[in-house]
Amino acid sequence: MNTELRRARKRQMFIFLLVCLGTVVLLARLYYWQVLQSQSGYKLAQLANNEHIQNVILDAPRGLIYDIQGRILASNVVRDDVYVEPLQFTVDHPDNTQSELAALISTLHQVLPKVSIEKLQSAFASGLPTARIAVGIDPSQSQQLRELQLEDVFLEPRTWRIYPGGTLAAQILGYVTQNDTNNHGNYGIEGQYDALLEGKPGSFTAVTDLQGNPLDVGATNEQPALSGANLTLTINSTIQYMVESALADAVKQLEADSGSVIVINARTGAVVAMAGEPTFDPNHYGQYATQQGCLGTEEVYFNPALYCAYEPGSTMKAATMAAALDQGLITPDTTFNDPGCMTFSDAPMVCNWQLRAYGTESMTQVLIHSANVGAAHVAHDILGADRFYPYLPRFGFGQPTGIDGPEATGSYLSPAEQGWTISDLTRQAFGQSILVTPIQLAMAYQAIANGGVMMHPYLVAQINKNGQVESTQPGVERRVISAHAAHLLTEMLTQAALLGTAQLALVPGYSVAAKTGTATTQGLSADQTEASVAGFIPASNPVFVILVKLDRPKKTIYGSTAAAPLWKTIAQQLMWYYKVPPDQQQ
Amino acid sequence: MSQQQPILAAKRRRQLHPFFFRMGPVALSMCSVLLICLMAVLYLSQLGQAVTANQQIQQFHRQQATLQREDQDLLYTIAQEKSPTYIAEHAKSMGLVPADPTTVKILVVPHLQPVQNR
Repeated sequence: MNTELRRARKRQMFIFLLVCLGTVVLLARLYYWQVLQSQSGYKLAQLANNEHIQNVILDAPRGLIYDIQGRILASNVVRDDVYVEPLQFTVDHPDNTQSELAALISTLHQVLPKVSIEKLQSAFASGLPTARIAVGIDPSQSQQLRELQLEDVFLEPRTWRIYPGGTLAAQILGYVTQNDTNNHGNYGIEGQYDALLEGKPGSFTAVTDLQGNPLDVGATNEQPALSGANLTLTINSTIQYMVESALADAVKQLEADSGSVIVINARTGAVVAMAGEPTFDPNHYGQYATQQGCLGTEEVYFNPALYCAYEPGSTMKAATMAAALDQGLITPDTTFNDPGCMTFSDAPMVCNWQLRAYGTESMTQVLIHSANVGAAHVAHDILGADRFYPYLPRFGFGQPTGIDGPEATGSYLSPAEQGWTISDLTRQAFGQSILVTPIQLAMAYQAIANGGVMMHPYLVAQINKNGQVESTQPGVERRVISAHAAHLLTEMLTQAALLGTAQLALVPGYSVAAKTGTATTQGLSADQTEASVAGFIPASNPVFVILVKLDRPKKTIYGSTAAAPLWKTIAQQLMWYYKVPPDQQQ
Repeated sequence: MSQQQPILAAKRRRQLHPFFFRMGPVALSMCSVLLICLMAVLYLSQLGQAVTANQQIQQFHRQQATLQREDQDLLYTIAQEKSPTYIAEHAKSMGLVPADPTTVKILVVPHLQPVQNR
């Protein structure tokens, strides 16, 4: 082998070794990235995927809430939040930052006058990647910002819950708290049916381009969002508005602290209207955080018709009479001597209002005169505790009515409980020493109006789960008293309205069965009353049960003068609106 | 036997040719390259069409979102204008006043039965 050939061989060997070395280095590097780095939590693969795979959570539209006529009570709208990119702005504008920043801030302030220049300056000075400067701006402002195409400013759409009627039926509906991560229903229907209304969020995973646009050519995984169920309430917006307006006027006119009204379909138990005063606007619920309802005992967001238990006063006498009539212990014409005050061997004395003595009076006259003595006599001397107390739970007192939504239960002492005395019996007979909620009392009158059969009260008429419709059928809760007793009591209440304390509640052309109540609270002065009227119309063929309650009215303090005119206004409007034929000559 | 060997070799060579005409190795390589190029062009063309279609889909998605948003806004506007609160306020602003119950006269039609279960 000559020298040249040997050198050539050496060069070849050297090159071969270099190539081998290079290959070994490459393999080692490859092993490092592909095996060692890959196994340490798949970080590289994850980082690579994050660059081009996007996973987006799709918000489920919250279900709408309608009234019985299909009018929308709660809806959704999309509004934009405005963000700026302070960090990107400094990168984009290394020179003349201050002058360009001032121009941008000025432009933003012109479009969004509610956002102060100081706030904008502070946002840009934060140095954060993104900073939100405005929430839920108007559509016109969104349009302006889109047209301006400002650099380092972007809009982020967000769905908002909105109530087109403002305060209309607010305490029935509740409201939705909205933050960056989720929406949550509070109080009322929004709270009770939150799980149904909120729906099921979807997700969207896709390979994206540089701008983040999904590329259908890559792997895509889409779980569509399932919108929440739509609810149809039994509420009639027109009647609800009329009731709310009339109640607000009465509260203002009589200088009452608060009030509530319930209108119930006498045959089905469906709630036609349910109003409370004071109330709130669910679109701006935060502004009412310090306001109180229920005579200062509850937040204004609570529905007073379901939560505010009170002593019902003389409206309770109907239940006492119902118990005695149902057991055949009295008739409307049964008489007794009413001396104005009655002493009992085992209970404190009971007196009529202004100590009025009525002499011999029938049971119908007890209701006409609203005589406490008569009611106490029936409960103590005729019924007794054994025959009186079973009727309180039958009428639904002291237990939830089962209406859609949380509610107070009220309370009373019965012989089985510690602390009960015979005085409780005599006082409960005319509506003292017992706490009931307006809905409980309204349902008790519904049972009387419906021939003794109590229906299940309900607010939600229909639930539509993406086409799967569930309708609420009126349901019988229980028979409270016999049809005969209900008929006799209706006649007695009709006479009580016609000749007694509820004369201001009479509606021309219609028979009315109603009873007033003026309840005082122990420990408060006698002029601190809760004036109420409960009854139904037309008495001959009841269509609506109405309960009106005004808390602590100042101008006039009695159920007969404060609550009865409001009852009449509402009853009259109901008769006109539903075109209920009159049952009496005027 | 020695006479049959060239005939077998020719037969085998013919079997290697996929077509009816004979191709040398250079021609075969060029054809392969052309075929691969053609397939690449077809693939790129398909990919381009898919990307274009995807852009259109994205455009439609954006339009859909805009329309849904407008739909919700219109629904809200209609709901607001159908609300009794809104109607009453506008009626008042137009000079209308609530009906006075004392001015309403009720006519009783004999033998007219009340409507049940309303």
